[in-house]
Amino acid sequence: MNDADIDADATDRMLLQRMSGGDRAALAVLYRSYHGRLVRFLSRLTRRADVIEEVINDCFWIAWQKASGFHGDSRVSTWIFGIAYRCGLKTLRQHGDEPVEDDGREDRMPSHDPGEDRELRDWLAKGLKHLSADQRVVVELVYGLGHTLEDVAVIMQCPVGTVKARLFHARVKLRNTLPALAGEPPLQKEKTP
Amino acid sequence: MKFPMDVGKDCARAWEIMPWTLQGSAPQAQDEWLTRHLVECESCRTEFAQQQRLRRAVALPPDIAVDADAGLRHLLARIDAPDIQETSPRSRTSWTMRALVAAVLVQALGIGVLGARLWSESQHPAYRTLSQPSLPAPQGAIHVVPDEAMKLADWNALLHSLRLRVVGGPNDVGAYTVVPAADTAAPDDTLRKLRAAHGIRLAEPVATAP
Repeated sequence: MNDADIDADATDRMLLQRMSGGDRAALAVLYRSYHGRLVRFLSRLTRRADVIEEVINDCFWIAWQKASGFHGDSRVSTWIFGIAYRCGLKTLRQHGDEPVEDDGREDRMPSHDPGEDRELRDWLAKGLKHLSADQRVVVELVYGLGHTLEDVAVIMQCPVGTVKARLFHARVKLRNTLPALAGEPPLQKEKTP
Repeated sequence: MKFPMDVGKDCARAWEIMPWTLQGSAPQAQDEWLTRHLVECESCRTEFAQQQRLRRAVALPPDIAVDADAGLRHLLARIDAPDIQETSPRSRTSWTMRALVAAVLVQALGIGVLGARLWSESQHPAYRTLSQPSLPAPQGAIHVVPDEAMKLADWNALLHSLRLRVVGGPNDVGAYTVVPAADTAAPDDTLRKLRAAHGIRLAEPVATAP
């Protein structure tokens, strides 16, 4: 955890403490602070904007109610993403959705990406569609959100060894399926262990 | 870099380190080692470039539009109206608990009644096992062994005339236990008449416990 992470965690803890006293302004700050990251994280589970909003609100409803019970055993972000992950799985089960099912609605952002970003997005999408939901979540948590293996294990409530295995297999699949840089063909396929 | 499992240990080590170097969480010594290895290994350089690209791609802002302000409004409204959304599950739980408690009470009551009834019956059991001790014979009881050839009508007539009632038997030797009615004459007289009756092989008063 670098200095920026430590500062961010200290701020989050302060906000949680205020939330435990019923401070709605603190809730609003924390909500806005995590919203973008949670949307991207949950977009690895579902493409439905309404479901994502529902999960984020369930997550912060729980955080609001349990703020006083946060004892600082982990970073606040680890705690919040753990709640969001469990809420996400629960909501998807209630909706009867398979993770990352797109219902065809245009909830996507208008296409104003610069060319390179759009190309990167498409490139990533090609790879992620070959991964399981848990593998996509691990990739997001490690590469996107910068969590450690231990953090991911706490978030997904599984052993560190399981996280390592998911990350390993996700990387192998991505390596074998993603087109290489600058129009090169995909890297030669290797056997999985 | 061929693959972490079937190449040299250095490439496998490089594969392990890459995500954490990209995160900036790997120890400095590991970062430096990886840098040196990448200089020497073209395959790992390619892989590392791919990993860098993956990290950039994953870190792009979400491409799904979810309105944070609207979401926050919904959340605050939910907090402001907890009775509607959040107490109903609790009240459902409460009713469920009450129903369960009622069911347990009814069950306990039923078990109690059944137990009392069984206890009561056990005081006057409808049947008796061979291992149980014999019931004490009533006052004035007589063991009577009728002859095998004695007709049922004669046996019934004799009992009727002497105002006797069968309360047990026949046992292994064919003996019945009979008791005289309450207002019957002296037991000795009854016993004497029994012994004198045709078809009666034995008539003996039942010895009562001291």
